[in-house]
Amino acid sequence: MNPVDWVVMVVAMVAIPSFGLWRGRRNRRNINDYLLASKTMPWYAMGLSIMATQASAITFIATTGQAYVDGMRFVQFYFGLPIAMVILAATAVPIFHRAGVYTAYEYLERRFDAKTRALTSIVFLVSRGMAAGIAIYAPAIVMSSIFGWQDRVTTLIIGLVCVVYTTTGGIPAVTWTDVLQMSVILSGLLVALVTVVSLMPHNVSFTDAVYLAGAVGKLNVVDLKLDWNNRYNLWSGLFGGTFLFLGYFGCDQSQVQRFLTGKSVAQSRLSLLFNAMAKVPMQFFILFVGAMVFVFYLFNQPPLLFQKNAMKELAKQPGYTQIQERFDSAFAKREHAAQSLNAARKAGDTPGLTAAVSDYRAAQHDTDAARAAGIRLYQKTEGQSGFSDTNYIFLSFVTKYFPVGFVGLVIAVIFGAAMSSSSGELNSLAAVCVMDIYRRHFRPNASDHHYLKASRVFTALWGTWAVAFAQYARHLGSLVEAVNQVGSFFYPVMLGTFTLGFFFKGVRGGAAFWALLIGEATIVACALFTKVAFLWYNVIGAVVVVIFGVLISKLAPYARER
Amino acid sequence: MRFRLPELPEEAFDPEPPPILGSWRNVYITALAWLAFLILLFYGFTRYFS
Repeated sequence: MNPVDWVVMVVAMVAIPSFGLWRGRRNRRNINDYLLASKTMPWYAMGLSIMATQASAITFIATTGQAYVDGMRFVQFYFGLPIAMVILAATAVPIFHRAGVYTAYEYLERRFDAKTRALTSIVFLVSRGMAAGIAIYAPAIVMSSIFGWQDRVTTLIIGLVCVVYTTTGGIPAVTWTDVLQMSVILSGLLVALVTVVSLMPHNVSFTDAVYLAGAVGKLNVVDLKLDWNNRYNLWSGLFGGTFLFLGYFGCDQSQVQRFLTGKSVAQSRLSLLFNAMAKVPMQFFILFVGAMVFVFYLFNQPPLLFQKNAMKELAKQPGYTQIQERFDSAFAKREHAAQSLNAARKAGDTPGLTAAVSDYRAAQHDTDAARAAGIRLYQKTEGQSGFSDTNYIFLSFVTKYFPVGFVGLVIAVIFGAAMSSSSGELNSLAAVCVMDIYRRHFRPNASDHHYLKASRVFTALWGTWAVAFAQYARHLGSLVEAVNQVGSFFYPVMLGTFTLGFFFKGVRGGAAFWALLIGEATIVACALFTKVAFLWYNVIGAVVVVIFGVLISKLAPYARER
Repeated sequence: MRFRLPELPEEAFDPEPPPILGSWRNVYITALAWLAFLILLFYGFTRYFS
């Protein structure tokens, strides 16, 4: 990397958390400051912080790559988010504010009993605890492949910066750092789009590029077909996505804690509604950048595999040369077909346009087939059946073609995203440890200063755990993928439990506890014995918990007792 | 066991109105209308460019 890029990256990594610490300097005197910012946060800060916590580094790396490979249909995953935000703004926000709780799970003890609070807290600690490590590890492993940096050093640096400002400043520092990080992230994305469009050949305008992406299905944003096994369509996004985001934003402490810091119910509501308005366009924008990267590679030959080390290994294999020749030939045909299509479209030659589209699509099909053959050969020789280089596409493009300075900015964006999601997780993990476990079960009557110190200690401990987990994540193999899906297994039952608490006044602790376990067993059964796409687990799990919570309350007398 | 909304009316503990659009109901409708508009826009985008 060029020295200018290093300067940009280091300045961003130091300056942004320093701003967060400085901006939140008045709010670190007591536990209320440290965990809730003494409820002083304005809506825009909470809103940007919520977005930053949700958007991990891998969101930016993988989403752009996904558009390159699979088109823009992934945006449908977010269609349920605005609906979830409206529901939460109308229900959960005033209920949590009125309850005056530090954590979402504290509310469950007031509404149900201590064991329901303990179970949900432990589920949160286990799932988020591992996710905090993955949030640091995932970008580090991509950087190690592209720049040759040691992933252990990268995880250590990201983790250290993150732990220092989170431990020192608590949620005020985390929130204000997120505000600046989110601003840098959005600016970085805009710069990425402008740069990729400006790198197109002179005879390919922005409109031409959009047309070329659309002609081979890269702009397939909305799919109306209802298919239970299809992960991304309008219906799975609207229904499954709504339940998923209700669970994530309404039951996951890393998000609930953000809107608990609001000056008032109105400010907290506005922060969620800001998300409702901004999130879908932002995801569209990220995917659109990936689609433009695809168009760029119509005129500049991409590597057969974007992961450098995999490409080196593949090049040693017998059979590689034929595949590479096939890929080169398919690329040349596709480039020619794209130019012909562009010329026919500009000339208004309708019959010629139809033929050109057909040729272009056939050439794209051949290119995809050659790339798939390369991936299959690599999988066969390396024994990695799930290998995918999608996460490497965008950064590989950035480092090769972006001007000096912009590479550093994009890397800063990736690191910033990793730190903002990880810091939010560390702070919320500490909050749950101190409030739901330590204060509740071990030291119920200690001083405010004692809990403040305990929160700092727990933040540092979770940070150390996250870095240690990231250091050894490479040895965990497929467990890493499993950890990434843990949320999808637990959010639905948490959502069902909170729904029982909010709306079904007759349901008591025993019923809620057993309904939660039955809901979890149902989700595990769905995962093991059906092919239902995972977004639907969110609907199934939450509905099962509510139905069984009500049924058990009616049928089992003991469950009606508090 | 009946489905019930929280017992207190919203105004009892949150008298603050939204800064725009007059009521929270209008803000929620606007957010959902925005989603509907985006889906229609994206659908048109998908159809036009495919």
